[in-house]
Amino acid sequence: MKNDKKLSPWEIFLTREIGIEFKACLYFFTILFYYCMYRIICGIFDAGIIHMAEMIITCYIVCYIQVYLFGNFDEAEKPGIKEIAGVIVCSALYILITIIGNWFDGKIGVTVGFAVYLLVVYICIFLIYRIKRKIEDKTLNEDLKLFQAEHKK
Amino acid sequence: MKIDIRQITEGEESVVIRYKDPSPKINKIIDILNGDDSRLRGKTDEGDVFFSPDDILYLESVDDKVFVYTPDKIMKIDGSLNSFMAAINDESFFRCSKSMIINVGRVEALKSLSSNRIDATMEGGEHIIISRRYASEFRRLLKGDR
Repeated sequence: MKNDKKLSPWEIFLTREIGIEFKACLYFFTILFYYCMYRIICGIFDAGIIHMAEMIITCYIVCYIQVYLFGNFDEAEKPGIKEIAGVIVCSALYILITIIGNWFDGKIGVTVGFAVYLLVVYICIFLIYRIKRKIEDKTLNEDLKLFQAEHKK
Repeated sequence: MKIDIRQITEGEESVVIRYKDPSPKINKIIDILNGDDSRLRGKTDEGDVFFSPDDILYLESVDDKVFVYTPDKIMKIDGSLNSFMAAINDESFFRCSKSMIINVGRVEALKSLSSNRIDATMEGGEHIIISRRYASEFRRLLKGDR
């Protein structure tokens, strides 16, 4: 059997980077949704470009911290101390930028609501990845049984 | 070693082996005559043991030594993981990390882990992690896309 088809370090790096891009976009859209809802409730029907730029940059930075410092906690098998610490640190970073960037016009209630919303988002994404892995398990085991049946002949 | 080959026109064909000590060469000839040339030789504390590649659950390389794990034995074999893969030439054996080879035919269940890794539960209940580097190739192997 040849094993020269294994992933090269460059391919592993690229896979991880694409994963971070995907994650940053995902979090950006969830944050943008909350921001837009807040603006609509306030009777404002446009979004600030500077605010959106701040959001996407923050999402990239936080996602890098999430992946490289906290072991990709939203994709973890079980929520442990490291994962909970990751959620707290990353949420705190988002909140900090929210206050510095004045996304919610300094309204404490909206900012607290945003913190709760972030927690819900993290829990939902954690559950989504868990469901995705369970579906993958089924496919993997079906493929395994087929492989074993073919190689028994 | 003196080789004496005689052609006969009638009577039963036979092979007589005369040896002083059972050398690896002699053992190999005996294995071939017994139809057991696919069997491998491993070393245990009790001495040499022959086993079929199908018995292998997985192989592990520790400090340049290769250990074979079967359901009931742990044996040391000569060579490296690479030389084993070259010699065995069987798709059922998959290099799942730098230091391990698993027998896919003896995997009981698979579990997808985070970061694209796979947890393989062997027949003996051992859990072997297929690293991210090899997981994509493993998925292709199962799908027959290699």
